[in-house]
Amino acid sequence: METDLLIIGGGPAGLNAAYEAASHGIETLVIEESFSMGGQLRQQTQVLDKLPKQFEKQRGTTLARTLIEKLSTLNVKVLLKHTMIGTYQDGRIGVSNGVKTIPITAKRIIVTTGAAEEASVFPGWTLPGVMTIGAAQILMNREYVQPGKNALVLGSNTFSLEIVKQFKEMGVTVRGIIESNSELISKHEKIIKSIKKDGIPLYLNSYIENATGVGEVQKVTLNHNGITEEMNIDLVCIGKGVAPILEPFEIMNCSFTYQIRLGGWVPQYSISMETSSPSAYIAGNAAGITSMGGILLTGQLAAVSVAESLGFLNEKLATEKRASLWKELHCIETTADLREVFNARMALIKDYHEEANLLPSSLFDLSLEEC
Amino acid sequence: MTNQYDVVVIGSGVIGSSIAYHLSESKQKEILVIDKGFPLSGTSGSTQAWVWVHNKTPSWYGELSMYSAELYPFLERKIGDVEYKRTGGIAPFFNESDREKALRLAEKQAEVGIDIEVLNREQVLEKEPALSPTIAGATYSKIDGNVNPFRLVELYIKAAKRNGAEFSFYNPVIDIDKDNGNFTITTKEGVFYAKQLILAGGPWTKGLGELLGIDIPVKQVRGQIIVTEPLAPLIKHTIGGMRQADNGEILIGYSKEEVGYDRRTTLDVIQDTAKMAVDYLPDLARANIVRCFSGIRVMPHDGFPILGEIPEIDNAFIAVMHSGITLSPLVGTLMTELLTEGETSIDLKRLRFNRFNECNV
Repeated sequence: METDLLIIGGGPAGLNAAYEAASHGIETLVIEESFSMGGQLRQQTQVLDKLPKQFEKQRGTTLARTLIEKLSTLNVKVLLKHTMIGTYQDGRIGVSNGVKTIPITAKRIIVTTGAAEEASVFPGWTLPGVMTIGAAQILMNREYVQPGKNALVLGSNTFSLEIVKQFKEMGVTVRGIIESNSELISKHEKIIKSIKKDGIPLYLNSYIENATGVGEVQKVTLNHNGITEEMNIDLVCIGKGVAPILEPFEIMNCSFTYQIRLGGWVPQYSISMETSSPSAYIAGNAAGITSMGGILLTGQLAAVSVAESLGFLNEKLATEKRASLWKELHCIETTADLREVFNARMALIKDYHEEANLLPSSLFDLSLEEC
Repeated sequence: MTNQYDVVVIGSGVIGSSIAYHLSESKQKEILVIDKGFPLSGTSGSTQAWVWVHNKTPSWYGELSMYSAELYPFLERKIGDVEYKRTGGIAPFFNESDREKALRLAEKQAEVGIDIEVLNREQVLEKEPALSPTIAGATYSKIDGNVNPFRLVELYIKAAKRNGAEFSFYNPVIDIDKDNGNFTITTKEGVFYAKQLILAGGPWTKGLGELLGIDIPVKQVRGQIIVTEPLAPLIKHTIGGMRQADNGEILIGYSKEEVGYDRRTTLDVIQDTAKMAVDYLPDLARANIVRCFSGIRVMPHDGFPILGEIPEIDNAFIAVMHSGITLSPLVGTLMTELLTEGETSIDLKRLRFNRFNECNV
């Protein structure tokens, strides 16, 4: 199979990149390992604000439909339930549907594999009833299933706290939020205040010693400042945050760097979102954990760069377009409390430009400009 | 940590850590092992970890491998359970015309005491019913087996540490100098001095040699390996190309490529490897692959270990070889003899570094 552009991942970054690229006339193929497109948007029932200016404020589930519908009149082909499993020596990408492996020849590739939740390991963590907080969200919002009755949530980032709020609405009793640090990870004052108002116990300096049960989790032993407490629990949600999914970049021999603010190990990339692997671009949470606004904008940025490199957009127009997208990204990440993420991103790009002897960019001064 | 040691070993893979352990047993020497990374992040951690003897040729090389395999049960008693299993080894052949070769191998290896049976199809299938009925026969030996490389290297290091050896990880060697009978080893983390120096860097030994101004005749060879999902017991023996681990995963690998230090896997090789595996074990066609990985292995130019003194540099030694897992107990023992007594119980003449120079003369 041959295509101008192959996009790996049909989540918001991949879909927005596909829209931008195909709008310039680029023949685009999206592969998605799940049975439907939309990625994590599919269970995000919350209203997303701070989206890029062409999008109205809307629910995640609606945004998924919006992005998919925008592609319907364009030259975009989608392969669902297809996974990238490797590359051939000549650079072709091997994509498997579980039965056959299809070699795909693509002039350019954008990898938008997103992020995966981090696990936390304790004795009993493999018992049914122990799941990530994201899995609990899928059960509630996509499958309409109450994941349990008496829950413990391990980890206190903003996402975990948002789900704790939703648990209350769904009739799940949250018996405690467990945090190994001495303060909550989330700095989202509004949510913290409302959690405290609801009287949900916060266990700081605490951890789960073990989870036990026959066939499913029934009891959890909590260690709180050295004192142990046993609780009757049928749901443990691990909310330890997310980290970029890196395997495709490893397979393509991309160089990596460590940026804790971006989620740990991330591929290096340029101001054009191009990685160190020739013709391979990156966007979305794979390029650093950010907000939905950042996910969509990096997808668009990568696609603009692909359009330029394939001759569908001249250098001047592409540079202008990138500059305006970076400005918008700067403003979105800054106002969404992600200033540190934006700065880490710029530091990553600057380092990579210096290391790879790429041209310096005037965009590096962006972080100084106010919105 | 002082800076002065009797022996500095560079490389903490299966060879470097085995030498450190065996050398530490007498507790006579201050030992430091330096590694640019962490144990098992290189070759020793990316292998099928066979302890493989029976078709190593010529027979003197098979004999060395056999001595080493014989040491494994004793090693386990000393350092702990390394999950060494003497499964027996089967090397199938698909053409009747290969039987003659197999019989010659058995005859040759018998001269050094390696017991090989040449089996016909029925005999092989009786031992290993899952093998393809298209095979013509196989060579079989009881001496072959496999080991868990992670436990092996970890326990070598733990035992060596108990005996007082020191280790410095994530510490690349930047420079090596020799003056006044002492080696000065400059590393990222500081400078160390050694009376005796051992290069055991596996595929990276070439670079270490350059620091000493010598050309070490080794190549880097990439081997790509497939790991299946855990399967019900399917094969009992170590089979030329694959083995089944305790948890049911089958590890499969046949490939050899010279691509330098590139550790990627490629679908071309992975698909060939999978095809070959199915030719051997038709049932594998239904197994899911969960992972692929590759390892960079070292291959001396003539295929045999380079072991012993480095010519023209007093007190510098080298231990570099393919089949490090198979040979590590023996290599650790012999290097200890060489460093402490100046001679070895087995003649190392064939393995000397200067055999390469002799070839040129």
